[in-house]
Amino acid sequence: MKRVGKPVFFVVVAILALLTYAAFFGVSSKYGDIDRTYIKGADDIRWGIDIRGGVDVTFSPPEEVDATDEEMSAAESVIKTRLLNQNITDSEVYTDTNTDRIIVRFPWKSNEQDFNPEAAIEELGKTAQLAFYKDVPIDQTTGLLSANAGEPVLTGADVEKAEFVMQQDPTTGVSQPVVSLVLKDEAKEKWAEATKEQVGKQISIFMDDEVISAPTVDEEITDGRCVISGNFTAESAVELANQINGGALPFELVTQSYNAISPTLGMGAKDAMVKAGAAAFIIIALFMILYYRLPGFVASIALMGQLAGTIAAITGFFAVFPSFTLTVPGIAGIILGLGFGVDANIISAERIREEIRTGKGIDASIQSGFQNAFSAIFDSNITVVFIAIILMGVFGPSDSIFAIPFNFLFSWMGLGTATAGSVYSFGYTLLVSIILNFLMGVLSSRLMLRSLAGFKPFRKAWLYGGEK
Amino acid sequence: MKLDIIGKRKIFFGISIVALVLVLIITIVVGPKLDIQFKGGSIATYTYTGDITPDEFGKTVESFLGQDVTVQKQENSVTGQTSMVVSLTSNKNLTTETQTGLLEELQTTYADNEIEASDINNVDPVMGMEFFKKCIVAVVFASVIMIVYIGFRFRKIGGASAGVVSVIALIHDVLIAYGVFVLLGFTINDNFIAVVLTILGYSINDTIVIYDRIRENKRYYGNKMELGELVNMSINQCLRRTVTTSLTTVMALICICVVAVMMNVSSILSFAVPMMVGVISGLYSSVFLSGSLWTLWQEKKAAKAAKA
Repeated sequence: MKRVGKPVFFVVVAILALLTYAAFFGVSSKYGDIDRTYIKGADDIRWGIDIRGGVDVTFSPPEEVDATDEEMSAAESVIKTRLLNQNITDSEVYTDTNTDRIIVRFPWKSNEQDFNPEAAIEELGKTAQLAFYKDVPIDQTTGLLSANAGEPVLTGADVEKAEFVMQQDPTTGVSQPVVSLVLKDEAKEKWAEATKEQVGKQISIFMDDEVISAPTVDEEITDGRCVISGNFTAESAVELANQINGGALPFELVTQSYNAISPTLGMGAKDAMVKAGAAAFIIIALFMILYYRLPGFVASIALMGQLAGTIAAITGFFAVFPSFTLTVPGIAGIILGLGFGVDANIISAERIREEIRTGKGIDASIQSGFQNAFSAIFDSNITVVFIAIILMGVFGPSDSIFAIPFNFLFSWMGLGTATAGSVYSFGYTLLVSIILNFLMGVLSSRLMLRSLAGFKPFRKAWLYGGEK
Repeated sequence: MKLDIIGKRKIFFGISIVALVLVLIITIVVGPKLDIQFKGGSIATYTYTGDITPDEFGKTVESFLGQDVTVQKQENSVTGQTSMVVSLTSNKNLTTETQTGLLEELQTTYADNEIEASDINNVDPVMGMEFFKKCIVAVVFASVIMIVYIGFRFRKIGGASAGVVSVIALIHDVLIAYGVFVLLGFTINDNFIAVVLTILGYSINDTIVIYDRIRENKRYYGNKMELGELVNMSINQCLRRTVTTSLTTVMALICICVVAVMMNVSSILSFAVPMMVGVISGLYSSVFLSGSLWTLWQEKKAAKAAKA
């Protein structure tokens, strides 16, 4: 058997310690008054409404609009999609069809820096009506869409899919962010006709009455594709693509009231969760060390790494990634994931113990113990990975890769695509921690234990579960 | 120590059947309490001044209406006006008489707090039929995938039957946890979904670990050992692991319960307690049910083949 070198243990521990430190405390620097976050710590976790409270916004259509029940439920589903697009995976959306009100609640805390609730609310209420016009029908006084512009050539409803892409300018060679559109089949002909007519002339693209781009048509477009370029940053291009994909509201939504709201689970839920988590972790680590000795010790380090990795996946870790909202179901996902981590280590430790007790040597026991344990760990973890993926697909945003197999089924069953995110967040945390389990509970435990076995003081069978 | 599980399987099947019948009785007698997210209801807002805790406010409302409510404290971001938001489930909208009665009750109880009704919305359930339909899609899909995957990975030991049995064990555990939820009077909400999903994971894990051992032993012993005996041996070999894993989980959950009680956040209990029962049920079903059920299936199949 190939031995794992003695320094390996220290290398693995150092890597895990660094990861743990970074995931819990973050890395940031201070230049005078400016704080710059490079890596987000556990403080940057965005807790769900159930744990930390949030904002409660009541929307309603403008007074002159008498919305039908169908329009209200269409508006509700657009809002749900927009919430998910803004990475707000935890939200409650209630609709009162009698008074034409939509109540939206999402998590937020007052001193949160990287999330602006007013901007989010404004985004939710926007009509997001995309329209293409021949020439540029602008009202000279307001600078907005002219009242007598007539029927648009295309609207957002004709778009199959909008996507953010980087496009290289053929003359300057500079890449710039654009939004690329694929039109629905039935709209292709309309688009071909309009572009044929406008060769050498402009076609203007409006979003809620504001012109965002007015390119000159070079030639007829028959493949039903087009690109919106404007002064986009990568972020604003993604935002526009999301708005188009999310669909337009039947009317603008006006904010009726806007309040901060306390957690559903009651005050102190967050502190209780954190304290309970820390206490449970310590008890499990102690138990593992006392019961399984050396493999238990190694398991505790690996579990710490797994927990840190999961937290990193929730905060987004690097400052550029958005963080994920953590709710009670999300915490359940972490607990289950850690449960699988503990279990993987227990299965391995038990198998090593069995081998040691047949009188085999330490190295051979560790080797075949891990080997025998692997198929059970693999099969149970993979099955749960499938379940996590199914949950993310069924309950998550409809444009994620996990959702593709279900979209047909849902449109056939007449179900909307975006749903409440609580199950989605369970799927996400579970998937992440199971993947980490392969890395930590299986790979790093194995490396650490085999490396430790090379040290003289650790070459005693009882440390691995043998008789004393 | 060696347990004779296969030999005494009738007893264990009996215990499970009794438990499931109890769950059915509890459902009929006690009845599940659905949260506003599932059932719809009303969200009423009362403005107030001074200090009131959402807990005591909720108790006043509950004793007047005779039903559970959720109360959240709310503060207007612009005016600083504080209010209590009461969410309650109901089959029909709140009548005007009830609304006035409740307001009067609140105004007398909290005479110094200038309580006024500011808003009442009757809302549709957020997770209504659509959510349930999606759950069914997810459950059917997950079951099919599990049966296919287990069927493939455990083809040496008649995989598809193993897959079906593990799905049965899983449903068993989820039903038991649901029974505890209803019995203890917890409202069926997000916490319930979290518990069900977690138990689902634990249950599959426990069952697969035992199948894995059966598969391994089958490789060594082939047909030399009688099936019941082989399964019994496999379950016993896994016993230490099964118990220890469940034990660590239960320890962690007890820890959560203790902290929740100490810090007076009882809402967390509705998550931790049913989960604990679910994990114990998972331990029971993986040790006493799935192996025996599978053996029963295989024996029936062998008997049929012998007849034909």
